[in-house]
Amino acid sequence: MKILIVEDEKGLAESITEYLSREGFVCEVANTFWQADEKISLYQYDCTIVDLTLPDGNGFDIIQTLKKIAAATGIIIISARNTLEDKLKGLEIGSDDYMTKPFHLSELNARVKSLIRRRNFGGNNDMTWKDIRVNLPARKVFIRDIETALSRKEYDLLLYFLSNIDVALTKESIAEHLWGDNMDSADSLDMVYSHIKNLRRKIVEKGGKDYIQSIYGIGYKFTAP
Amino acid sequence: MKLLEKASRIYLLASLLIYLAVGIAFFWIIKFMIYDEVESRLMVEKQDFETYIRTNDTWSNNSYFVENKIEVVPVFGKVDNRVTFTDTLIRNRYEESADPFRQLTFHTLIGGSPYRVAIRKSMIESYKLIEAISVAMVAFLGLLLVSTFLFHRVLSGKLWKPFYDSLSRIKEFDWTKNKPLETVRSEITEFNELGDVMEKMASKMQHDYRSLREFTENASHEIQTPLALINARVEQFIQSKDLGETHTYWIEEIYHAARRMSRLNQGLLLLAKIENQQFTEQEEIDLSELALNKLKDFEDILQHKEIILSVQSTASFRKVMSPALAEILLTNLINNAVRHNYTGGELRLESGNDYVQVSNTGNPLKSDPERLFERFKKESAGAESLGLGLAIVKQICDSYDLQISYHYDEPMHLIRIAAK
Repeated sequence: MKILIVEDEKGLAESITEYLSREGFVCEVANTFWQADEKISLYQYDCTIVDLTLPDGNGFDIIQTLKKIAAATGIIIISARNTLEDKLKGLEIGSDDYMTKPFHLSELNARVKSLIRRRNFGGNNDMTWKDIRVNLPARKVFIRDIETALSRKEYDLLLYFLSNIDVALTKESIAEHLWGDNMDSADSLDMVYSHIKNLRRKIVEKGGKDYIQSIYGIGYKFTAP
Repeated sequence: MKLLEKASRIYLLASLLIYLAVGIAFFWIIKFMIYDEVESRLMVEKQDFETYIRTNDTWSNNSYFVENKIEVVPVFGKVDNRVTFTDTLIRNRYEESADPFRQLTFHTLIGGSPYRVAIRKSMIESYKLIEAISVAMVAFLGLLLVSTFLFHRVLSGKLWKPFYDSLSRIKEFDWTKNKPLETVRSEITEFNELGDVMEKMASKMQHDYRSLREFTENASHEIQTPLALINARVEQFIQSKDLGETHTYWIEEIYHAARRMSRLNQGLLLLAKIENQQFTEQEEIDLSELALNKLKDFEDILQHKEIILSVQSTASFRKVMSPALAEILLTNLINNAVRHNYTGGELRLESGNDYVQVSNTGNPLKSDPERLFERFKKESAGAESLGLGLAIVKQICDSYDLQISYHYDEPMHLIRIAAK
């Protein structure tokens, strides 16, 4: 899976590259508009992550070119601009997702994976890890092939974990993934705790192992014990 | 009052006064001249009479054909030497009416005895003349008044047209758009100068607005990008296996501080954008319906905090405003009501056709309720609260002419947003 990262802030581009490479993606970086323009005309990518504000051009133009020459590429915008107009414009010209800076790398990773899944299999597939199987279109979860009823948020939480196996996730990134940006309070962290507790209980009840590992002070990691 | 109407009124009033004064003066002048003429003729007749008396030393009324022309009456006692002019009415011989006469009275000696002599001249013709002249004058002045008034109206309407056209264009001018202001050119230098000045001001406004907008966008970008970098680096850092407890504590603190700063920056930028009127998109929004929709986002947390929710919506509260700001307004209000609520508390949403009211249980305010909507006013010292939520709500209300009020009715805190 090849990913192009168009981002002028070198440190951020590096972080994204490192993070996504760990997940098995092949990443390339373009720091300027012209580099990006050259790369998209020469190579094919499964997904492109585009920053809108570039020193020598506008990310929207890159997206428009991409749509013309490689319509199958998934596009995720990462921008510091959080106006509704920018978001609407981004979606209008064919991007698949819009993330406002600062974002969580784990969230970006989850979105890239979900985008590639949707593109490659038309969203019609199963996701399997160890003894957990998730039927995505039906939103059904099977643990050791036994169907397990999860609440909506527990399902979202499990999917987020499955997209970030072996990765330390902060409580904040989980809270934001589940409830969005505008629910930042001590309460939402409490809620994360209780949802994690329930999910852990449900997995163990059906004979699964306890995959959710707590990391003191930071958050959780979904990993084989 | 419109300029043209005001000018017409002043013009009408002034010319009426002037014409009236002119008319009266003219009338008196004519009257004076006619009297002068009549009196000098009476003086001539007096001389004729005296010459006649001197040569004949006698007078007979018969010798004068016209009745009442000269009346000679003998007087006794003291003789007055004064010569006086008087107006008098004399009965007409043929008709039952009294005619006006001018009469010259003097005393003289005829045949050695004193007589009072009155010589008269009919004024009937002169009066008719004055009447005719006056009527003609009033008619002409009236005609003049009406015609100049109409002329003045049409002329000023034509002259001021470019001004009014420009005015309507200025009214339609929107500095948030890119379309420049174009005033109407005319032959009149002052209007063109005014147009030039307005155009210059308008383009300056557009320019300032654009640069302000760009500044806020760039500032946002410049600050959010390094914060994104800190965030990303922290996330990478926590992946390492051998983190000590102190390390995780530090890193957690850095992560928190960066996120707080990012939120603070976003909040302040939002306030600046509302102040600069950068949310230009407008549509009619049902605030009560939107509030109900927003409550759905809070379902989980309400359940988690065991907050009892009650909704009482009697009518839809319609308001033309930016959809983005309407969402922020209600999200912040509900967020506030949830955050400062306690477990097992209550949240009430009420709405009618001109208000939305969110009320929640909570501990009484420690600070002055007057300052509740100020920036960085925090009830709890909790790090999660920025103290911008209600300030943003207030700013949105101010920019859309909505009235916001706070009321504490133990144990409920009520915040009400109502149409003014």
